[in-house]
Amino acid sequence: MEKVVIIRYAEIHLKGKNRGFFERVFIINLERALKGIRHELHRTSGRYLVEKFDTARYEEIMERVLRVFGVHSCSEGLLVPNDMDSIFEAAKCVAPAGGTFKVETHRADKKYPLTSMEVSAEIGGRLLAHNRALKVDVHDPAARVYIDVRENGTALVYCSSRLGAGGMPVGTAGTGLLLLSGGIDSPVAGYMMAKRGMTVEVLHFHSYPYTNDGAKEKVQELAALLSQYTLVERLRCVNVAHIQEEIHKKCAADLNVTLLRRFMFRIAERIAAKVGAQCLVTGESLGQVASQTVEGLTSSNSVVALPVLRPLIGFDKEEIIERAKKIGTYDTSVLPFEDCCTVFLPEHPAIRPKLSYIEEEEAKLDVEALIEDALKTLEFIRL
Amino acid sequence: MIYLDNAATTPPCTEAVERARAFLEENFYNPSAIYGGAFSVHAALKEARQGVLSRIADPAKFELIFTSGGTESDNHAVFSGARRGNAVTTKGEHAAVFESFNALKGRGVEPRFAPLKCDGSVDEEGLLSLVDEKTSLVSILHVNNETGAVNDILALARAVKRKNPRALFHSDGVQAFGKIPVRLSADIDLYSVSAHKIGGLKGTGALIKRKNLVLPPLVYGGGQEGGQRSGTENVFGIMAFAYAAEKKFATLEEDGKRILALRNLLRERLDGALYTCLSPEVGSPYILSTSARGMRGEVLVRMLWERGVAAGTGSACSSRHRFSRVLMACGYDEPTLDGVLRWSFSPATTKDEILRAADIANEVAATFRGNL
Repeated sequence: MEKVVIIRYAEIHLKGKNRGFFERVFIINLERALKGIRHELHRTSGRYLVEKFDTARYEEIMERVLRVFGVHSCSEGLLVPNDMDSIFEAAKCVAPAGGTFKVETHRADKKYPLTSMEVSAEIGGRLLAHNRALKVDVHDPAARVYIDVRENGTALVYCSSRLGAGGMPVGTAGTGLLLLSGGIDSPVAGYMMAKRGMTVEVLHFHSYPYTNDGAKEKVQELAALLSQYTLVERLRCVNVAHIQEEIHKKCAADLNVTLLRRFMFRIAERIAAKVGAQCLVTGESLGQVASQTVEGLTSSNSVVALPVLRPLIGFDKEEIIERAKKIGTYDTSVLPFEDCCTVFLPEHPAIRPKLSYIEEEEAKLDVEALIEDALKTLEFIRL
Repeated sequence: MIYLDNAATTPPCTEAVERARAFLEENFYNPSAIYGGAFSVHAALKEARQGVLSRIADPAKFELIFTSGGTESDNHAVFSGARRGNAVTTKGEHAAVFESFNALKGRGVEPRFAPLKCDGSVDEEGLLSLVDEKTSLVSILHVNNETGAVNDILALARAVKRKNPRALFHSDGVQAFGKIPVRLSADIDLYSVSAHKIGGLKGTGALIKRKNLVLPPLVYGGGQEGGQRSGTENVFGIMAFAYAAEKKFATLEEDGKRILALRNLLRERLDGALYTCLSPEVGSPYILSTSARGMRGEVLVRMLWERGVAAGTGSACSSRHRFSRVLMACGYDEPTLDGVLRWSFSPATTKDEILRAADIANEVAATFRGNL
């Protein structure tokens, strides 16, 4: 009796002629998620099986697979020879301890001596005799025991399943460049785009020496947590301290953040071109802070040609926090390091800055030279 | 690199490291084993214990328990010493004592915190008013690790004992050991020291304890250290500690004078328009606390590091604990607390380093101020 993990995929089955492409990417992603664990991954009638692994690592495999986008659900299955005694032994293991149940059989091997109905009836009967606490209910059972009689002389027996991450395989929906701060929102934004199949490259802005190495380490940790889903194990960092200094020295204080964001977007667009990203992704949510008013968003948008995707735009903070907790980035996000330097934070940031005012203030800076300087600090970190 | 953060840790002295290496590679035996090689390690350990202890106290009246460092020694003293009534300490303590006192609440002992004077030393009157007949332990920092202020622990211990002879007196001597001349008196029951502040290795320290004082252990096990601190001894660390202590104490007085001159030189050279001195005139020569008022100390630290100077802020900087608890208790305002920079020295510090560090510090602060 061998323990296996049965993987069912989510939306891929809706695909038509390009389904092969989605499946190929899906397999690559599953293999990447299982990197470092000995296993074999096989495709079988509409689903995948992880086999031949060390059962001590079963939980770990399950958790890693459940995080892969495109996975609808997973089950713990038992692979046994297809004789009725072996199937019964496996069914005993996966069947619930009590309550109503039903046995469902699928017979791929049409030469098998019993029909599907006969297998179900036989195993169901034996289970009932074995465990008095069980009761058959074929219409609305609390648990279903599934038996797959396969063509290669084996049978797969399983019962409950765990829900996976859903979505589409990462790598099937283009590339985006995520602006990752050290906060709660941006990792969730990256997660949501990856969930729809986007390859999410990550860019972080820091302002050393005004922010510290701990803050950068925290962002690295966040990027690493995110990479469990996005499978992108690299991070790019750019230092914007000098830009902040210049803005602070030369421009109106209430525009500090607005102007800095415009620089960030411009720099991000240049980096996006290098990494082949077709859009920018941010964790902005409408009205959350002064720079995230529609005027603020417009001011940032107006300096780039690329689309800026903001998957959290209509989310409340509470909703974002809930998701961050679910994907496991929350605890790292709330570590007390500053991500945006408070040395330069204005007391009263402009909430509805007019574009003409912004441009007037920005004209006091040598925008191109500052961007060039900042790009020289680009750092590539392998997670 | 100019290293001026010796209160955080000192570079281990070469001979101490060599000594440690010999006990890692050749005499690696477990001192509790019974064959010859192990016994010689046991004997070396005994010698080291006497060596460290005799530098500061009379081995006839005191004994020494090797520990994993100052924090463990402090925890041992606080949790084993304060077991009933109330316990008194100061607002200027290192976190190892301060947080242990906070944890006493959960053990049914009332912690009391004495106020500080503006230099960081304890307010004696305030302290004594907190000591009563129910006080089981009084713990006073010997040298304040943030300002360098020195508490006269002999006089304070005397005063405490006069008020309550049954109260135990502990002092955290981590920043004083090997730096401030002192001989433990009969009024002092417990004294914590650490190796890596005087050229030893991290992970080694000791709790010096008055003989005949029975304290429950903090760590139970195989009965090492006379049953008072179980666990196979950190032999190599202890050997390095003994050597570092021997070396440091041999030149304690002349080091003190020379370093005092360096400290005063740095104080003079730092631009008065940029830096305010927080340390007392008469304090530990090894620590100079300054504040670049209105600037962020932690940012200056990183700017200095980029220019090849290592200094400290003297506080764990984070947005939650933005300001030093100790310096807040000294009564400084926010702009001063924000800009705290702590310079700390060792016998290896040279005059040339001080002059260069002062120039760089002035330049960096001027640049920073220009950017604000």
